[in-house]
Amino acid sequence: MDIKTIDHLCDLSKLNYTDEGKEKVMGEMSAIIELMDTVKEFDVVYDDTKDNNSISYDEVRKDDAKPSFPAEKLLSNTQPSDNCYVVPKMVD
Amino acid sequence: MDLKKQTLGSLREMLDTKQISAAELCKEYFDRIKTTDSQVLGYITVTEEEAMKNAAKAQEAIDKGEAKALTGIPLAIKDNICTDGIRTTCASNMLGNFIPPYDACVIEKLKADDYVLLGKASMDEFAMGGSTQTSAFAKTKNPFDLSRVPGGSSGGSAAVVSAAMAPAALGSDTGGSIRQPSSFCGVTGLKPTYGRVSRYGLVAFASSLDQIGPIANSAVDCGIILNTICGKDSRDATSANKPAEDFNAKVGKDIKGMKIALPKEFFAESTDDEVKTAVLAAAKKYEEMGAVLVDCSMKSLKYAVAAYYLVASAEAASNLSRFDGIKYGLRGEGRTFDEMIRDSRSRGFGDEVKRRILLGNYALSSGYYDAYYLKALALKQQIIKEYNEIFENADIILTPTAPTVAYKIGEQETDPVKMYLADICTVTVNIASLPAISVPCGYNADGMPIGMSLVGRKWDEATLIQTADAFEKSFDRRYSEV
Repeated sequence: MDIKTIDHLCDLSKLNYTDEGKEKVMGEMSAIIELMDTVKEFDVVYDDTKDNNSISYDEVRKDDAKPSFPAEKLLSNTQPSDNCYVVPKMVD
Repeated sequence: MDLKKQTLGSLREMLDTKQISAAELCKEYFDRIKTTDSQVLGYITVTEEEAMKNAAKAQEAIDKGEAKALTGIPLAIKDNICTDGIRTTCASNMLGNFIPPYDACVIEKLKADDYVLLGKASMDEFAMGGSTQTSAFAKTKNPFDLSRVPGGSSGGSAAVVSAAMAPAALGSDTGGSIRQPSSFCGVTGLKPTYGRVSRYGLVAFASSLDQIGPIANSAVDCGIILNTICGKDSRDATSANKPAEDFNAKVGKDIKGMKIALPKEFFAESTDDEVKTAVLAAAKKYEEMGAVLVDCSMKSLKYAVAAYYLVASAEAASNLSRFDGIKYGLRGEGRTFDEMIRDSRSRGFGDEVKRRILLGNYALSSGYYDAYYLKALALKQQIIKEYNEIFENADIILTPTAPTVAYKIGEQETDPVKMYLADICTVTVNIASLPAISVPCGYNADGMPIGMSLVGRKWDEATLIQTADAFEKSFDRRYSEV
């Protein structure tokens, strides 16, 4: 685990760290990856033809249109502005 | 009233025979919360005003003779289960002011019974942790020893039951988050079969592993709650369409001839001697009741923690990508869209949540996917295969719930690897989608509770509750002193 990898992971994860925070998390992630590396020792191959977990996705609901939640309730958790979500400009 | 010794059955009887009203019962619990929670810190939000209104509604049903199993029964709910109009934080600054616009399916079902919500229980942030010390709002303490952790992630739920600040609670379990805190706090916690309970309205951590379940003072109490919250829900495609059943139907039936398997790897050196001794003594007790003990092995166990963390973190990285501060949640600052999202997430998430997101994205990223994520899925298949082989010759599997008792606050929560390895006894159950129940089975020299886990076949919660109840009836349970 090096700073370049941490920077790449931060980009993928949409996270920022200070330089000091980056050093700290690099050490922690190195130890975590060392633990994760143990999976490589076990000689077993994933068989996608008999996927495993037998979770049944039965009786998927019909794609019927239903009334939405009230807009004022949905907007109560954001910065209010005329029934809209306010975000910064994406294009200058 | 001695709240510590009440069960849902005893409270039901008191309510139905008018020894106490729903409002009076509620008040008993809020009085207890007021005197006790400042020490334990089990709740993030207490909902007294709402509760008294609901108690009045419940009383009407009781007075009409229309009470259901949970009518007028006060419960605590883990703070990652959405409650319409009531703050649901996931113990994260990201959702510090989040008020859900809808109820989770389990809350709808509890409301249909006219239950009474006491409050939202603390937890590890986004259910990621085993100590409840990553909570941004209430770092819960263990009622048996306030200098120790209550376990996690449902540490608030377990602690409020243990400290008699609720007769029962709902938690969620992704890798042991119901069972381990139940073990640490000396109460009973049931993780149902994956698909038994709808996850609609449970803030997602790892969708293929998450499951909601009860924490209570007995296995029978867990069965009572599961009877109410289970069932198919069209809003959760993974919820199973199973016929209604009474999960307490086998309680009291003889366990003579039942085969109980003890996988030797769960009793290895990493498990404390006092824990091993207590769990093996419980096995002996089962043998005296007529059960047959069976030796068995789970060779893949030493790889299970890594496999679990790879799968769970990969799913978490995906699930938590929704937290961008736009539609809800903490809103950061930035001149551009990307800067704003990064600032929101960096300020909103705590250290452990960030580490899991980084790990998940690492496992899923180009160049690492086959070596980590696919390998973890292969191990998942292997673990399921090994469980199936054990169940060919056993009805129940008995293991410790955790390798240790509750440890001192500050002792190991800052070491992520140590924390992950402590999940060794619980994660395989989630990987294999099985039901399991943690039951107190002893106390160490310091008086801290030790829990054992009974693992059952898929959809066989009834046998789990029967077996757990048989032990509980002969066990001299202790109560916390707070």
